Amino acid sequence: MEKAKISGYQLFVLIFLFEMGSALLVPLAGEGKQGAWLVILIAMIGGILLFFVYYALFQYYPNQILTEFVRSILGNFLGRIVAFLYILYFMYLAARVLRDFGETLLTVAYPHVPLFFANAAFILVVIYTVRKGIEVLARTSELFFVLENVLFLTFILLTIVSGMIHLNNLKPVLEINGVEMVKMAFSKTIFFPFGELIVFLMIFPYLNEPQRLKKIGVGGLALSGIFLSFTMAVNIAVLGVDLTLRSQYPLLTLIQSIEVAGFLERLDVYFLLKLMIGGFIKITVFTYVAVTGTANVFNVKQPSRLAYPVGFVILLVSIVIASSYSEHIQEGLSAVPVYIHLPFQVIIPLLLLIIAYFKNRKKSNKHQQHKTELKGGVEGK
Amino acid sequence: MVSFFKQKRQMKQRDAKKEDQGQSKTVDYIESSLSANMEIVKQKTGDSPDIIIRTLKISQDPEIKTTIVYVQGLIDNPSVTDFLIESIMKNPHLSEKILPQKALEVITEDVVSLGGVATVNDWEKLFLSLLSGDSIIFVDGINTALVASTKGGERRSIQEPSTHLTVRGSREGFTESNVTNIAMLRRIINSPDLWIESMKIGTVTKTDVSIMYINGIVKKEIVEEVKKRLKRINIDSILESGYIEQLIEDQVMTPFPTLNHTERPDMVAGNLLEGRVAIFVNGTPFVLVAPALFVQFFQSVEDYYNRFDIATATRFLRIIVFIISVVGPALYVAATTFHQEMIPTKLLVIVAAQRETVPLPAVIEALLMEITFEILREASLRMPKAVGSTMSIVGALVIGQAAVQAGIVSPAMVIIVSITAIASFATPSYSIAISARLVRFAFILCAGIIGFYGMILAFIILIVHLCSLRSFGVPYMSPLAPLNTQGLGDTFFRRPMWAFKERPKLISSKNNLKREGENQRPLPPESRGMKTSTERKGDGNES
Amino acid sequence: MNRKRLVLLLMLMGTTFTSGCWDKTELNEMAIVSAVGIDKNEAGRLVGTFQIINPVNVAGSLQGGGGTNPSISIYRATGDNVLELDSNASTKISRDMYFAHANLVVIGEDVAKEMGINSIFDAFERSPEFRATTRIVIARGVKAKDLVETLTAIDKVSAEKVIKTIESTEKQQGGSITINLQEVIKNLVSSGKEPLISGFTVRGNTNKESKIENTQTSNMAANPNAVGIGVFKDGKLIDWLDGNQAKGTMWVLDRIVNTNVNIDWEGKKDAVTYQVLRQKTNVKPKMKNGKPKMYITVRAEGDIREVNAPIDLASPHGSIDIEKKLAKDIKKDMEDAIKLAQKNKSDIFGFGELIHETHPAYWKKHEKDWDDVTFPKLEAEVQVEVFIRRTGIRNKPYLLDIKKGDQ
Repeated sequence: MEKAKISGYQLFVLIFLFEMGSALLVPLAGEGKQGAWLVILIAMIGGILLFFVYYALFQYYPNQILTEFVRSILGNFLGRIVAFLYILYFMYLAARVLRDFGETLLTVAYPHVPLFFANAAFILVVIYTVRKGIEVLARTSELFFVLENVLFLTFILLTIVSGMIHLNNLKPVLEINGVEMVKMAFSKTIFFPFGELIVFLMIFPYLNEPQRLKKIGVGGLALSGIFLSFTMAVNIAVLGVDLTLRSQYPLLTLIQSIEVAGFLERLDVYFLLKLMIGGFIKITVFTYVAVTGTANVFNVKQPSRLAYPVGFVILLVSIVIASSYSEHIQEGLSAVPVYIHLPFQVIIPLLLLIIAYFKNRKKSNKHQQHKTELKGGVEGK
Repeated sequence: MVSFFKQKRQMKQRDAKKEDQGQSKTVDYIESSLSANMEIVKQKTGDSPDIIIRTLKISQDPEIKTTIVYVQGLIDNPSVTDFLIESIMKNPHLSEKILPQKALEVITEDVVSLGGVATVNDWEKLFLSLLSGDSIIFVDGINTALVASTKGGERRSIQEPSTHLTVRGSREGFTESNVTNIAMLRRIINSPDLWIESMKIGTVTKTDVSIMYINGIVKKEIVEEVKKRLKRINIDSILESGYIEQLIEDQVMTPFPTLNHTERPDMVAGNLLEGRVAIFVNGTPFVLVAPALFVQFFQSVEDYYNRFDIATATRFLRIIVFIISVVGPALYVAATTFHQEMIPTKLLVIVAAQRETVPLPAVIEALLMEITFEILREASLRMPKAVGSTMSIVGALVIGQAAVQAGIVSPAMVIIVSITAIASFATPSYSIAISARLVRFAFILCAGIIGFYGMILAFIILIVHLCSLRSFGVPYMSPLAPLNTQGLGDTFFRRPMWAFKERPKLISSKNNLKREGENQRPLPPESRGMKTSTERKGDGNES
Repeated sequence: MNRKRLVLLLMLMGTTFTSGCWDKTELNEMAIVSAVGIDKNEAGRLVGTFQIINPVNVAGSLQGGGGTNPSISIYRATGDNVLELDSNASTKISRDMYFAHANLVVIGEDVAKEMGINSIFDAFERSPEFRATTRIVIARGVKAKDLVETLTAIDKVSAEKVIKTIESTEKQQGGSITINLQEVIKNLVSSGKEPLISGFTVRGNTNKESKIENTQTSNMAANPNAVGIGVFKDGKLIDWLDGNQAKGTMWVLDRIVNTNVNIDWEGKKDAVTYQVLRQKTNVKPKMKNGKPKMYITVRAEGDIREVNAPIDLASPHGSIDIEKKLAKDIKKDMEDAIKLAQKNKSDIFGFGELIHETHPAYWKKHEKDWDDVTFPKLEAEVQVEVFIRRTGIRNKPYLLDIKKGDQ
């Protein structure tokens, strides 16, 4: 663990940008049709429930990062294996986001650039940041938070000014019925992006005001959920359901159709900037967590030395992960949620929580005894 | 208040002790024989002709030889001739008979009519005083010498500073003399809390370096850090405050300045009052101020003299100017070679028409023009002023006219480069303008390689880099990141003077943040405004 | 550590500089396409006409000089699909064709009628280069190439001229409709709405349009004109709306901006001209006896612009009479337009979408046979309210005084 402290606001911002990351670009919960925004909100509530699981785990081990307390819960051997699996999971997710990001870039603006180059250039920036540590990342995200919101506001403003919002497109909200919506929210949207909050179990201990964590986490999730839901609603209101679902990047399509005063057109660059800021924070958080996790599990003294090798592995994985974009997306939609997200985001944390509960019940009895003794001692003095 | 002084003196003494311990233990003391002493003086200074040795005779029967040694040009001529030589020669006390042992005492107490007088007995200190402009009086047979403070000589007078110009505000600028500079600050801040500590840095030059801060406002840790870093310096010479700056920076590998420097006493005063530490270096009018934050380089003292709305608007303008000077040409390169779709059709057609005959790729064109401009700027800085006008004519004609007419560069490029150039001149701080120049080239290259993608990557690295910087432990980007809402009022915004409630949190001492009293907001007179007044008569100013 | 960094840096620089700048295109290496025309030849293959801007000539004329050389160049290519057109045309051009500034796609009438437009647009939509806001028009009565080839005077690039003409026609007359690529595709996909695309033609001597002399006379021999709106069904052009039909359609679609409405007065044709300044059309479907009925309400505000009849506008009665007459006329136009659409079995108004939005259950049942069965039988009730706000800087028309004097 690094010797660092981040403030509550910084953590909030980090969570917000992380959640917005790549989820903003894809047609999130697209099958929800006109009610996609509702599905996102339902999933957000699910995400908050998941957050409470993570929060409970954090409360048992407020000074330990995930890879550390897994060992405290499961014992050294089994704990190490699970911790290692988590590191792989984080690296895989980093690679996925990197791939998402590189593919988008190539589709949108640079068809001739090799994917390897696009990803390599980006991962180098990520490595540079990871080596600077969590404090710098937190400060950077504070600045990007402002930028992101300014971009968001201008985007909303431009969309409204160009008169493209047809609220009728959002009707009927219940194109698919409520049960299906909940099913969709809890089988897909909850894992991406809300459940990915589990990486923050590696960052929570840096918080300098742990008592406020609950508010910060819920706030960050809620705000990002509302933003995502709002963006999706605007997408559908402007483009209609068919076009939104047919677009690889609805937001890009939306931005491309903005036309204000015959001058502000083709603001693809704006999309690029938004995409890269989100992608950058997300990949950096994953990579950072993978690096500190590895350092923690293998007792490496200088975690920053691991940045290059870990980054390189992420880069290679991002290239070999799929042979085409459709394959990549299909994996992401069908296989990953069930076989990867579900165990890592829900099953293992729940099991850990149960074990931790029983372990700590014994301990806390002792602990409380110890505490009362201590108190008595102090008072005695 | 007294206790403050005590503390300070104690601290100084402690420091002096430490210094003594640190230096070589063999101290050379002054001999009692005058001729031997003179020999040593001559030998040590290589018999330099500007070291004046004037021997006088005092007392009668036996005559005692006295020698005054001083360095020509460093001393204040009238004080040496009038108050030293003349008074020794003509003083009635000295024409009487004096015991040789008492001679020095008599001279000190009855003869020399100068303010600063002290005795020394080791050569090291003696030479330090001599070479900084004091006069030394040796008396034959006594192994102590008298140091009379006669510092003076020709110096530049106080003039208007040539950098950080303002329309409104003090016209005084620092000079090369530390004494004058410190006095200027004393004149602005009339508080005993204005503390100064001095040290000599440079094994050969022995330059006077003073740090100044306001006790009670400054953060103790920052002062300690500054002192620690200054003590660490072990170098032969300090010729300018830039030497110090480069030796005490937090991070070396950065194009951005982490210390501020200024020629304006009012700016230093303002910074001291925010809890910063000023470092005065003898021999330069540029005073260092630490810690420096990124936003500070976009502020001018005049912002505080103007009303807040105007100041805020100018600050935003400066930010825009900075952004233009960093990304201007890169934006052009990226837009015309990679992202033509975002240029409005009509503009694109015009630019395309201009580029039709240009043989170079846009990146090369941009780099070429930028470098040409840098050459011009450098040349006009270094050239004698008389040649300056020729320079500008050649520059304007060659670059502005001929190159465009020949079709080597496009007019659009010339426009972009000129705007960038003007923008970089409009940045208030020279040091951040230089950084912008460097970063600009990196941006052009990135844009040339892979368009906006490269530019955004460069932008992210830039932001991360800026966030990773610290100046004397204070995050460089504060109060933006880490965010401090109270501090935001003095960044790109400038809150109204009546709302400046607190000093910057990360810089000033925590227990003394309050800056102004409550209810400072000026209000219109009671009798005015839309309100039901109980008064029947107004104040007689009704129109 | 330092050496490692150096090696890394060198590798990075090596890869970037040796592999070159992949997607870089200098401005003088590209041909800026401003319009694309798509026709069909006798063999049934597509013929593409690409209008390419000559920047020097356009910019030159903007700066005051120029005008001696044509500001556009035309390239033609034949192929079976749109991308083939592109690649075949590139054999004739020294530069890369750049489509991001192609603001106009012209589709030949024969293509629209016989082949349909369904198969054309995918390439346009899929390419990240092509704009979603590209305008679409149909060349009516002429080949698309004739329109693309035309040299025009004020707007040097004829694509610009066509777009501006449509926009001003829509605004002033309500006789055209501005529609872009994205909207056309949206309407093609939607089962509850069919696209409308404006028609455009070249009037006059159609052999001269590509000659430079065309722009050198004040009275152009060949001039592109906006004519009518094309109605589509299942991606094929089936009918044209002209004059009042087009206006009525635009009223229903709520796209009237400031159209002039002329009414007859006491036997005198088009005696009063009324200019709409603000208007709002509301379309609401309501279920009656298990069947939807469309309620269309129009509320228009505007000024009187011309009165060639002795009506006393100073008295409110005169105004009210005109308002009533106006409302009646507009209502008739709209009803005619709806009837025509029902006859064509093409739901150009998007009534289907409205029903989908408000009565999804009904829509699910009738989505399949909407165009052919349900829509033609759909009942619609039109209500028009017209308000005259001002009458210009005169109150009574002078005609009234002349009449009085005569008596």
